[in-house]
Amino acid sequence: MSDFLTFGINGALTGLLYALIALGFVVIYRSSRVFNLAQGELVVLGGFLVWWMVMAAELPLWVGIPLAFAAAAGAGALIERLFFTRLVGESLFSMVMMTIALLILIRGVILMVWGPQVRPFPIIFPLQPIMVGEVLITRSLLFGGVVTVAVALGLSWFFNHTRPGLRMTAVAEDHQIALSLGISVKRSIAVAWILGAVLSTLGAMVFLSGRSLGFLASDIGFAALPVALLAGLESVAGLLLAGVIVGVAQGLAAGYLDPLIGGGVSTVFPSIVMLAILFLRPTGLFGWRVIERV
Amino acid sequence: MLPSGVFAETYAEDKRLVRTGKQRLALGVFLLACLLLPALAGPRLVAIANVMLITAVVTVGLQITTGYSGQVNLGQAAFMGVGSYATAVAATRLGLPFWLAVPVGGVAAAAFGFVFGLSAIRIKGFYLALTTIAAQFVFHFSVLNLPKSWLGASNGITLEPMTLGGRRIGTDTGIYYVLLTACVVMVAGAFGIIRSRHGRAFVAVRDDDVAAGMMGINVVYTKALAFLVGAFFAGIGGGLWAYYLRFVSVEQFSLFFSIWYVGMIIVGGMGSIVGALVGVFVIRSVQEALTTLGPELAEWLPALGGAVVFAGMNVLLGGIIALFLIVEPKGLMHRWNILKASYRLWPFPY
Repeated sequence: MSDFLTFGINGALTGLLYALIALGFVVIYRSSRVFNLAQGELVVLGGFLVWWMVMAAELPLWVGIPLAFAAAAGAGALIERLFFTRLVGESLFSMVMMTIALLILIRGVILMVWGPQVRPFPIIFPLQPIMVGEVLITRSLLFGGVVTVAVALGLSWFFNHTRPGLRMTAVAEDHQIALSLGISVKRSIAVAWILGAVLSTLGAMVFLSGRSLGFLASDIGFAALPVALLAGLESVAGLLLAGVIVGVAQGLAAGYLDPLIGGGVSTVFPSIVMLAILFLRPTGLFGWRVIERV
Repeated sequence: MLPSGVFAETYAEDKRLVRTGKQRLALGVFLLACLLLPALAGPRLVAIANVMLITAVVTVGLQITTGYSGQVNLGQAAFMGVGSYATAVAATRLGLPFWLAVPVGGVAAAAFGFVFGLSAIRIKGFYLALTTIAAQFVFHFSVLNLPKSWLGASNGITLEPMTLGGRRIGTDTGIYYVLLTACVVMVAGAFGIIRSRHGRAFVAVRDDDVAAGMMGINVVYTKALAFLVGAFFAGIGGGLWAYYLRFVSVEQFSLFFSIWYVGMIIVGGMGSIVGALVGVFVIRSVQEALTTLGPELAEWLPALGGAVVFAGMNVLLGGIIALFLIVEPKGLMHRWNILKASYRLWPFPY
């Protein structure tokens, strides 16, 4: 029973981490209608910025982290400026390919600037696990979970109840209609990318705290993809539930299926979930749009 | 646009690929150059040309799926991998000869592609792109986790050299002619498909699937067919690849390669078979140049060491795709056609 609880609770917390990473997807989609496949790369970029400020420049955490957030915001604005301003109104294929190009480009630039070595990441959350009864809980995941819930609820309120948020929502619905209503699509997209980059840095801090950082950490982006799909690409608060569902399922699969079938089932699990969602219910649990069917 | 005085009076004439004497001459010179290449160029260039020929077959297939039919496909490398593995298994376990094993690879890839093509019936656009990425993961996971005696898991499969008519073909030059023949056949086939009823259906579905349905085109069937044909080309390319390298493993067919293939058709020009060939040539040349320059680049950036080529490839691929999407989304063939039209119209503006 305590095994079950350990797998379940840690799974749920991992799921919340996925939800935090997936927030990057959803925020960018929710305000620009671009699905950013380079999310994992943004996380790694954020991770390297934190590493750069805290470990390489040896700034204390309370200076380094805000600086890293500022740098990430700058990077987000730069990406928008260079690659997406010109693509407003282009076809969906262009948008998808552009985010893929971005994925590869950021990875190349990270390799060029910081090299392929694996680096120790600063310990942002204390390492000792918390014991609740017989259940071991990783501290960074617990704090990360709390942060995720707070951020998701805050952003959900922002997108659904404030004027700027609703404006960005309108952009996500249709660029042309938003433009004709006097909403600046470009500014919305810029805000989206800045928010996305900052959230990715936050995600990197929770994900990597006390671990090692290398460019392969970007796999978390694809692992978080099913969470974004399950929630529906437009729902911010729905990510919390979706994250918990995927995380618990994956945690239980890792705990009970891996010993039976041999390792690796839990690693491919997100892809299986993703395929199932795509075939059965492409809108996800809380998505708005009815997916066009032929 | 055609030069003045050249016009079609019958449908057959309208469908012809070679319309003028100069075009025939250019095609002849090009084919002759292809045939003479091993005699004129060194062994390294022949090896590069071999990889280009295989990539051309795969990319032409992708051009049919994505460029002509408008179905985003980010799993072309996985389809190629299925073809490669099927050929390898057919050749080593079943002992099929070269000329049978490669089509087996094509058929296997077509079947795999068709399954994912069926998803194009239910979903489209971005979601379809995700499904094809999932095809990539499914392929990778299945090969690595199936029993070792089936597909060799992480060890891969080793093949014997190809034999044709009792003769072993082991040299790069010999393989070059085999690949050239296969490539010419496949490209000719692609032109045939594109100019047929099916090709026009592909283009109609790409441009507007509702309108295409109204005109009596079976949209579902057409989309699935586009994936089937594209994956068949990938499978043939994969089969040739298996025989060329004589070794098959999963790493040769990662998502990264799928993205390279899409990059090639973006650079060459969407919706043009010649564009696919141009894209393959341009991108492979740049890749080879980068690989050759790698050691010198490493001296410039000593911090990177051996990773400089990999990092450079990443920056190059991402940069090229981004640049073309922003500056010339229609690709090099579009530029070429503009140039040709203005040359033919000169001195008039239009």
